[in-house]
Amino acid sequence: MALLELKGVKKIYDQGKIEVPALRGIDLRVGQGEFTTIFGPSGSGKTTLLNLVGCLDKPTAGTIIFDGRKLDDLDKKELAMIRRHSIGFIFQSYNLIPVLTAYENVEFALRLVNKYNPRETRDRVLDILSAVGLEGLAHRRPNELSGGQKQRVAIARALVKEPKLVLADEPSANLDSKTSEEVLAVMAKMNKELGTTFIFSTHDPLVMAYARRLIEIRDGLIAKDQRREQDAVLN
Amino acid sequence: MLFLTRLAFKNLARHRNRTVITSMIIALAVFIYIFYDSLISGMTVMSYGTLIDYETGHLQVVNRAYWAEEEKLPLENLIPMDEALQREIRNGRGFVAASPELNFQARLNNGWDELPVMGKGIDPSAFKGVFALEDQLVEGAMFAPGEYRVVLGKRLADLMDLGLGDYVTLQVKDKNKGLNTIEAEIAGLVHTSNPNVNQNIVYVPLDLAQAALAVEGRVSKVIVRLAEQDWAAKVAVELEQNLKRHNPDLAVYPWSQLEAFAFLGAARLEKQVILAIILLIAAIAIINTVILAALERMSEIGMMKAQGLQNKEVVYTFVMESTGIGLLGGAIGVLMGSILVWFLAKYGIDFDALVGMEMAAFGLPVLGKIYGVWNPKGMITVFAFGVLISFLASIWPAYWAADKDPVQTIYHR
Repeated sequence: MALLELKGVKKIYDQGKIEVPALRGIDLRVGQGEFTTIFGPSGSGKTTLLNLVGCLDKPTAGTIIFDGRKLDDLDKKELAMIRRHSIGFIFQSYNLIPVLTAYENVEFALRLVNKYNPRETRDRVLDILSAVGLEGLAHRRPNELSGGQKQRVAIARALVKEPKLVLADEPSANLDSKTSEEVLAVMAKMNKELGTTFIFSTHDPLVMAYARRLIEIRDGLIAKDQRREQDAVLN
Repeated sequence: MLFLTRLAFKNLARHRNRTVITSMIIALAVFIYIFYDSLISGMTVMSYGTLIDYETGHLQVVNRAYWAEEEKLPLENLIPMDEALQREIRNGRGFVAASPELNFQARLNNGWDELPVMGKGIDPSAFKGVFALEDQLVEGAMFAPGEYRVVLGKRLADLMDLGLGDYVTLQVKDKNKGLNTIEAEIAGLVHTSNPNVNQNIVYVPLDLAQAALAVEGRVSKVIVRLAEQDWAAKVAVELEQNLKRHNPDLAVYPWSQLEAFAFLGAARLEKQVILAIILLIAAIAIINTVILAALERMSEIGMMKAQGLQNKEVVYTFVMESTGIGLLGGAIGVLMGSILVWFLAKYGIDFDALVGMEMAAFGLPVLGKIYGVWNPKGMITVFAFGVLISFLASIWPAYWAADKDPVQTIYHR
């Protein structure tokens, strides 16, 4: 069974007297453990698609089924609970909380899940920070970390609760190519080790190179959906 | 929730300057209130003393019908001063002394000028037991019963260009509306912290006044001094019950119910208005701070909502942060206020010297230094109000921030 299924999904933004269609009818199935990249020119609807899949927005038409649940009928609170327990987000600008240390930023996501005792919470946070290569930097605040390190914290934050799906919107946009590669390698590793499903939205060829499935969006429609047996980098 | 509370308090350090400024606004509001409260309470305590010692005593025994017309100083419905009444009053709980007085309208004439005044017929020996007027004689002495002598305020004497030993005429209308006069020598001049005593009252021997007004053996009221002023309300009820046997028309009023203390109620109201104003200022500061913080943290709010935070949890974070500012500001305000109250209670403020004239001239029954009074209940109240206002004022802007569309906030559109 697919983790995620979109049927005829449309999103139209109402901007006063003008209606702007961002998605014109998307049909898509994403399975458990996929490492998928959505790419396309600016304004093609990539981010809109991610927002809908991430329960941050609702489609104008069509149906989204996530982990067997139809999202259309859910209220704000139920959508928030799905995000809290099952979806991790990685943003282009990291969006870390500046007054919290790397440890606390990651702990934040785990505390919301409210499933672990303090000792388990601590172990899990330190484990994930270690897994993303931030051992020894747990006590640092975001302003004491490099861009790559910040994005690693964001990855750790997205993964620490072991979500079913991680959505990454232009995760390498603010990173140099070397750091981008390191960060992507971390995500690919997590995908393999934890079986977490990743969906990226990007322009970056490097991100595309890591993907096993490439979906091209143009003018709010899927123009191409290409699967690869192995990615171009890690194989 | 514990983590969100921790986050809220950590956010206080994010913009230290802003936190400090907002806290200081609240601290200043709390400080001003504590200062004002201490001063007004001090003034109130002094005023109570002044009014009780020079004008009202602790209890007033009076005929109900007279009481209703008291402002006109009528010569109707007076109390016959018989032994039975005096015995009943003496037997009251906490009794220290009683002084009968006959109040009347008069015109004070110095030979070429005249002023309307209030005449007060008193028995000097009884009067001394209730009032501290003799301690405030700046010139001369108190008269004896039957003497054609009077005592008046120094200010009134100055106003009429009179001095010790001068003769004055009090023009009065007796009970039968006939004109009469009391010719008397000025025996003494007083200067008290009660402006009414200083400039409006002429004290006359009771027997002289009764004769001039054709009300022999009768008085307007009997003023009673008790061992404790706080007993007044209870003793008034008891005494009134006891007096009913003697004369059912008599009523007993404790000092706290007297017209002379009405301005203290106004002071209390004024205090509440000031509290409301300063807390409004604090509320505006908090609203401003939360809106600024929310605008700055839009993408962070979006991220928090993407993490699965519900609106109420985002609101909680902001509200806790504001409450933290309220706690900080309140604590600083109470600390600063306590230091000032300590100073005021120990050294006092000489407003007369500060303003260059006596406060009594402004109608305030105080003389000399005003000492602050500690009011821990008031301090706790204003602190709690500061925190509560910080809490309440932040709810709306916090809700405004939390209710934003997560997509718009994440991408800060």
